[in-house]
Amino acid sequence: MSKPPDFHFFRLVARNLGNRPYRNIATIFAFAIIAATFFSSQYLMSGAQQSLDAGISRMGADILVVPEDYAGAGQTVILAGTPTSFFFEDSGFEKISRIPGVAKASPQIYIATLFASCCAAPVQMIAIDPKRDFTIAAWLKENPGLRLGKDDIIIGSAIIQNVGNDLLFYGHTFHVVGVLKQTGMGVDNAVFTRFEDAYVMAEESGQKAVKKLIIPEEKVSAVLVKVNPGTSPAVVASEIMAQVPGTKTILPNGLLNAVSGQLSAITRILYGASLAVTIVSVPLLGVISAMVAHERRKEVSILRALGATKAFVVRLLLVESFSLAIMGGCIGIGVSATILVLYQDFIMHLLKIPFIIPSLTTILVQGGSALLLSIVVGGVSALYPVIIFIRSEPYESIRGGES
Amino acid sequence: MINVDGLTKTFRMDNYEISAVDDVQLNVQPGEFILIFGRSGCGKSTLLGMLAGLIRPTKGVVRVHGVDIAHLSDDDVSGLRAKEIGFVFQFSGLLSTLTVLENVLLPTLFCTYSPSSGLRALELLEKVGVLDRADAYPHTLSSGEMKRVAIARALINGPALLIADEPTGDLDVDTEFEIMELFRQLNHEGTTIVMVTHNPDLVPYGTQSYYMERGKIVGKPKTSSCENLDLKSVSHLTTRDLT
Ligand SMILES: Nc1ncnc2c1ncn2[C@@H]1O[C@H](COP(=O)(O)OP(=O)(O)OP(=O)(O)O)[C@@H](O)[C@H]1O
Ligand SMILES: [Mg+2]
Repeated sequence: MSKPPDFHFFRLVARNLGNRPYRNIATIFAFAIIAATFFSSQYLMSGAQQSLDAGISRMGADILVVPEDYAGAGQTVILAGTPTSFFFEDSGFEKISRIPGVAKASPQIYIATLFASCCAAPVQMIAIDPKRDFTIAAWLKENPGLRLGKDDIIIGSAIIQNVGNDLLFYGHTFHVVGVLKQTGMGVDNAVFTRFEDAYVMAEESGQKAVKKLIIPEEKVSAVLVKVNPGTSPAVVASEIMAQVPGTKTILPNGLLNAVSGQLSAITRILYGASLAVTIVSVPLLGVISAMVAHERRKEVSILRALGATKAFVVRLLLVESFSLAIMGGCIGIGVSATILVLYQDFIMHLLKIPFIIPSLTTILVQGGSALLLSIVVGGVSALYPVIIFIRSEPYESIRGGES
Repeated sequence: MINVDGLTKTFRMDNYEISAVDDVQLNVQPGEFILIFGRSGCGKSTLLGMLAGLIRPTKGVVRVHGVDIAHLSDDDVSGLRAKEIGFVFQFSGLLSTLTVLENVLLPTLFCTYSPSSGLRALELLEKVGVLDRADAYPHTLSSGEMKRVAIARALINGPALLIADEPTGDLDVDTEFEIMELFRQLNHEGTTIVMVTHNPDLVPYGTQSYYMERGKIVGKPKTSSCENLDLKSVSHLTTRDLT
């Protein structure tokens, strides 16, 4: 041998882990399952939430004001883009813009379109007032040179059309001038146009379309409100409801609750699954670790007889358990992340939730917390062997059997 | 070196008690080679376990260098085992996940690190005659080879005292002879040895021999007629001093 061999603590750990494949693979598998379920449910939830945030910030609003009876429909527009039409008096809008704390107010008209030639599903048309709008304005600012002119539309990402194409709604031809970024929400299924063009389209629909479209004058569907910096949207929202009877306000938070309500089934399934897996895995790991404790009593006694302190043995048991937890955690997170990304469309379709892939930081935080959970479970499952060991007399188990 | 007084161990079972070791007095002087005989179940292993601080006595004291080990902290007793005592188990006691060489190096984890340990391990393996199996795993060894590895492991930290529980049990006569010659050599080099055996033919190797019966030391046969009688007069070198 050329180099004198040496031996250290981590070599011992590595040997113990590497040379007991069956037991360790079972343990790693249990940790992987725990981490995978925990990670996936967090990932899906935050993806849905991020999607909501993106949808709302796409709207650029702090508050969405809709007619009282249409609060649910308002949410649907934002969340799912299921086409709806509803209206309330424009005079209400004037009142809203005068309420203290309101920085900007922008009316929108929601028009449910019929089955359009362009698209697989009915499309939600949202008409805006370019003078007061800030929803599309923000986006236009990011895309200099673009403007929303006569009969122009800007479309959501889920509408598979290119800039320059013509689309027909109620017999009226519109030109696509821009495509919005994906939000995972209703906006993805919407097309934006100007009030004037919508009115003209409605006018002409009597002759050009199968069904006449009526957009009542002096009425709007919703008002998006931006509040002054430092003002609480919740306070302004309740002021709006007090001063403009017949309105209902939707706040991003409220929207989130609505979604959680809507998604509660899925949420419950996801969290239920995590809980069930953890509840099943912890005793499983407990059983494995009890077996290990029993099996290792002799080994531990040998170490003690050779001069290992109690602290050394505890450290060995913990480091081994933590190593398995970390390996299992990383495998579980890696595999589930891969599956979630590769089959994203299929999974979203299956779960019917708004979704965009969370930011890398969010994913890292989620991965980290899933890993942390495995480590904690690893620590807990190592407790039993450690306690057994601390309680037993070192030599007792040596006599056990021949080796 | 080790002084044992009134040492007793009683195992309590649900409905009866076993007096495994019963009021034993024993004095181990540096440089001695002590042999303990006795029938199976008479308490030999239990006695050795108490000498090494691995089994807590029911009564009595074990003094190492004049200090009652019951008064030492667990860490101190562990340190004593790591540095001063080499232990060879009745069974091989090798860890199955480690190679022969790693098994021999294992006790160095419990001492302050010395870069020379690796070389010393190889030397010891050569000395016990299993250097060629250094990278083998224990389950591929014969039981004689396992015993040799266990002995090399017991010596790696240069202990002043070697405690061996039937190191030659279930070995053939030739292998037993080789191991006993090795022990004799170690003893000449200064290692104190306490060894348990069933084989009365080994009496000549010891400087002291004791018989145990039902937990008691009942006889103290005359010092053996082996040629190296006067071991107490050789200087009390330990193998540690030699390294
Ligand atoms: N942990 C224990 N619990 C209960 N009884 C024990 C325990 N350890 C030893 N004994 C009992 O104490 C007695 C002495 O056991 P010990 O192992 O010391 O005998 P021994 O002389 O080494 O025997 P052998 O030559 O077969 O190894 C036996 O009757 C044994 O059953
Ligand atoms: Mg025995």
